[in-house]
Amino acid sequence: MCKSLSGAIIVNANPSHLHPRYSNRILRAVKSPESKANSLALAELRRGETGLVAGLAEVAGFDDGSGNAAVLMARLRDLGFVAGARCQVIARMWPAGDPMVVRIGGSTFALRRAEAAAVRVARIGEQPVPRVQLAPKDTSAALA
Amino acid sequence: MDAVVSQAPLRIALIGVPNCGKTALFNRLTGSRQKVANYPGVTVERREGERVAADGRPQRVLDLPGTYSLTPTTLDEAITRDVLLGRVANAPAPELVVCVVDAVHLPIGLRLALDVKRLGLPMVLALNRMDVAVRRGVHIDIPRLSAELGVPVLPTIAVKRGGADALIEAIESSRWSGLRSVSEPRWLEPTAEDAEQTQSDLRGVLAAVGYGAPQENLWFARMDALLLHPVAGLVVLGMVLFIMFQAVFSWAEAPMALIDGGMAQFGAWTAAHLPEGPLSSLLVNGVIGGAGAVLVFLPQILILFLFILALEDSGYLPRAAYLLDRMMGGVGLSGRAFIPLLSSFACAIPGIMAARTIPSWRDRLTTIMIAPLMTCSARLPVYALLISALIPARGVGPFNLQGLVLFVLYAAGILAALIVAWVMKHFAGKRQYSPLMLELPDYQWPHAGNLLLGLWERVKIFLSRVGGIILALMIVLWFLSSYPAPPLGATGPPIQYSFAGKLGALLEYIFAPIGFNWQISIALVPGLAAREVAVSALGTVYAMSAGGDDVAGRLQPVIASTWSLATGCSLLAWYVFAPQCLSTLAVVKRETNSWRYPIIMAAYLFALAYMASFFTYRAIAGWG
Repeated sequence: MCKSLSGAIIVNANPSHLHPRYSNRILRAVKSPESKANSLALAELRRGETGLVAGLAEVAGFDDGSGNAAVLMARLRDLGFVAGARCQVIARMWPAGDPMVVRIGGSTFALRRAEAAAVRVARIGEQPVPRVQLAPKDTSAALA
Repeated sequence: MDAVVSQAPLRIALIGVPNCGKTALFNRLTGSRQKVANYPGVTVERREGERVAADGRPQRVLDLPGTYSLTPTTLDEAITRDVLLGRVANAPAPELVVCVVDAVHLPIGLRLALDVKRLGLPMVLALNRMDVAVRRGVHIDIPRLSAELGVPVLPTIAVKRGGADALIEAIESSRWSGLRSVSEPRWLEPTAEDAEQTQSDLRGVLAAVGYGAPQENLWFARMDALLLHPVAGLVVLGMVLFIMFQAVFSWAEAPMALIDGGMAQFGAWTAAHLPEGPLSSLLVNGVIGGAGAVLVFLPQILILFLFILALEDSGYLPRAAYLLDRMMGGVGLSGRAFIPLLSSFACAIPGIMAARTIPSWRDRLTTIMIAPLMTCSARLPVYALLISALIPARGVGPFNLQGLVLFVLYAAGILAALIVAWVMKHFAGKRQYSPLMLELPDYQWPHAGNLLLGLWERVKIFLSRVGGIILALMIVLWFLSSYPAPPLGATGPPIQYSFAGKLGALLEYIFAPIGFNWQISIALVPGLAAREVAVSALGTVYAMSAGGDDVAGRLQPVIASTWSLATGCSLLAWYVFAPQCLSTLAVVKRETNSWRYPIIMAAYLFALAYMASFFTYRAIAGWG
């Protein structure tokens, strides 16, 4: 199903950003305890790294006991952070990489660390993101 | 009236995620027949427009606030849901929903469409930005999408003439008017399982229509690499803001001189053609002098708004919010507050209203309370007048001293805002976590039509202010400063014997410690209603003191020769803080739904203004 998108920076190489084959594997993976070590928080990905969303997890960051956390989790899901979605970190602010910019499903969102901490992902690789430079690097070989 | 026209209009609602081109489509559907008001009891903007179908049946189109989901996180989003459910007074549930989905970013829009469809309302889906989608290699099987959803799907290009024709044809179809008595829309807060179900439905539909994510635009990626860079991005942001404020002054020079000269000539012409007396004095000093002194600043205000509208249209503003989120978090503000605060540089009123997009009430309140500290365009007339009269135009290093003073005034406002926000953060109780979760839309060239429409709206508001409040106040002030006439054998200027003169003498007791003379004290009274009025008021007061023949608008030399530097700087400091804008306070009352906050705001800003002026005056008077 993979189309070749030559000459472009490819974040989503799949025709759909929701890849059913991976999504099943990931859903299973999260349930088994030994593979939990492979899933990490989206907040831990560095700039340029790509992850496959495994699911959402409650974190202490924005839970203030007012039911607010549930609404925020629902919003993350509505923005496309669901199991099987592929996402890439395209920018992180200084200091401490907070907030960060994530591309998912063809859309781009700015998230704080606390928000990105609620998204569990499996790191699936790194793709070049353009650097600040005057002469553009050849990025056509971004992804096979 | 024939039967067709008297028919109740079909109620159509437009819904979609933010940045899907919904408002452009709304403009395409309704043209200029739009009304902007508020929903009863809340302050969410209600944009409604009338249109007439080809067969003469009327239709009423409602542009609902953009939302990603029917589970709301902000006031705007709650309204969108409640209108669809018919829960809002005076806004019965729509009879037809047009769900606008950006074809380029199909998944996120389609997810909302699936939610909306479950409400059970008649619906059509507008697949917008089809031109961009095709260019970026997005494939969507439209007939299949329509079959999967069970609703008509119409491709549209909202920004192109005729780009909504297919949609218009669909909503004018007579099948919708036959569905008048639809069943009540139903909605339950979705559980996690419901959300999973929606996601798997979404996956199914996306696979069925063969959707492929858009090709990444290399230029967008490069621009993001620069504009979102922790250092380079901030440098660019600083440059953009610097150019914006430079342009406000340099570009506006020529048109301002033109308006100024025109008004002066018009005043002289009027004076020459009218017999001397009260009427001539009223027209020349009150109306032309007063209105002219403010009208001169229209070009500056328009340039400022042009920049803000263009930055908004291009997709840059949310990126700036991202860059500043961390810094603003330090004083207890969300990065989302950047957009309301930037708008406040043009005018605090749209700024305060834009604060609705901030999810947490505490953050929103802080943003509202500091918005008037951003130097709004109504202060420019005052700043420009005083700076050009009192500050020499000599160079300081590579900079111009006048420009530097102006920069200091802007900076003082921002600094004060940060301090106030910090104080509110530490003394205003427990805070709710307020998410950033901000979409950074694709870059696009600002659409000239949208910019012109936005600017035209500003011109209308400004002119109606000049023609309404400002003019009325000027006439009242002219009357107060003309009567009673001076007694025979009076030696001082006539205004000293008038009501205004006496009022000014009284107010001088309050303002003398901060260096204001009686002319300033009088001008501040009408200036309470709107800042820029103080300039026209000074124009009127000085014109009246000069004996009435002099055409107002020649204020600058008078101020330069009669005010001390300390007085001028004290007035500048006053203007950085003083909440001299009734409309702002009224909007704060409306937005917070209580008198408490506008009163607190007025009190703290007046206190700051008096203190700042006092110290400025004493420092300069003692030093110079």
